[in-house]
Amino acid sequence: MTHSLHRVKGQHGLDDDFVVLCMPSKDINHEGSGPKLRQFLELALEHEPSNLGDARLGNRWWQGGLDKMLDNIEDRAVVTAAFNDKAKLVSFLKAVKEADLGLSVVVSGLVEHVAECCEQAGVKRHTENRSLKIWGNTDLLPSEDILSVSTMCGHAMVPAHLVEYMIKRVKNGRMTPVEAATELAKPCQCGIMNIDRAAEILKELSEV
Amino acid sequence: MIILRDKCSRCGKCSRYCPMNAISLNRSKKYFEVDLEKCVECYNCYRQAGCEDDALYPQKLGWPRTIRNLMSDELSVAEESGISGRGTEEMKTNDVTGRFAYGKVGVAVEMGRPQVSAHLIEVEKVSMALAKVGVEFEPDNPITSLMADKETGKFKDDVLQERCLSAIIELRTKMENLPKIMEAIKEVSGELNTVCSVCVASKLEEDGTNPSLAVLDELGIEYRPNPKTNVSLGKPFYAFQK
Repeated sequence: MTHSLHRVKGQHGLDDDFVVLCMPSKDINHEGSGPKLRQFLELALEHEPSNLGDARLGNRWWQGGLDKMLDNIEDRAVVTAAFNDKAKLVSFLKAVKEADLGLSVVVSGLVEHVAECCEQAGVKRHTENRSLKIWGNTDLLPSEDILSVSTMCGHAMVPAHLVEYMIKRVKNGRMTPVEAATELAKPCQCGIMNIDRAAEILKELSEV
Repeated sequence: MIILRDKCSRCGKCSRYCPMNAISLNRSKKYFEVDLEKCVECYNCYRQAGCEDDALYPQKLGWPRTIRNLMSDELSVAEESGISGRGTEEMKTNDVTGRFAYGKVGVAVEMGRPQVSAHLIEVEKVSMALAKVGVEFEPDNPITSLMADKETGKFKDDVLQERCLSAIIELRTKMENLPKIMEAIKEVSGELNTVCSVCVASKLEEDGTNPSLAVLDELGIEYRPNPKTNVSLGKPFYAFQK
């Protein structure tokens, strides 16, 4: 599952895009991990995330509310939180380290920012997964700017034409950028669609 | 997924949520319908459109169509991996599993990503090209289970025409094999009628250097500036040795 990798830069860039994931490992530390995964999300909520979710059972919209999502977390869940700010990321990583959950944590984002934030939070980078971009028949792809929004759902549940539809809604004043970005976040069950970044991009693209 | 024509009131909301553009107005223009060849059974329309007419109906899936749902619905849990999504724990838990040791790399080729989708016959082209250079396919990945022969990367014949939003071919190998693997992917990617997103995972050196980047630079292969990084918080911590 590489769902938080391969996020496309577009004209907007990636300076405001970080995803933090927490998961147990099968047969090593998964037993009793549910409450720790819940604690990870509760800590995230204290640090103003742009979004968050449970990749196993779905996001808050699908599960009928944040409390239900938190109550339903299972031992083998994969939970995530997205941030748009380095300071929040540092503060959150410090809190997760302090909580000593004992579960694996993965941070996605521009490498120089992630390295800096890890150093400030006192956590050590261990293993890295690098995207080598897109190969094959790339003529089949939507534009880079549309991909900069849609690839924030790594499972492709945010279709390019839905992004285009939301840009039109913002352009003609039927929705604010944040409302449109929130609608786009709903199909992303893992909760890694960065709503703040999506809203900024929708605003920029609607002004073109 | 099918649409019950007698119930459909033609609002078209479901079509906006279909990643495959598989939902369109029928020729008679009296109702929307699903192109079942294109549909990957991801259930995005069913979950997101909130059809007030109750016209969307997730029909019972039989083999091999079940593969479409498994590899497209992000909430499906694969028996092999035990987790939701389309892959495995891969490097995300490397701090406790030691799956990618010093000198080893993980390579993943996610066929159909982003947004294009892939038939398994396209996935097979890549798996067979990789098998020729000698790789170990990840046993916990559901795509590996669809192979009739893991030595050749050949898939079972009855699954080849199935389509999914994306399918991840995952493998582990020695760092020294990375150039020939990259060459094999490069060569076969010119024959694809889809796209693939490729990535390489490796344990960082003590100073934070990623050893695979020097190999990729040597090969002239570009990589994105936004990796995902395991940050050593899992326990019990795996004792890596050089």
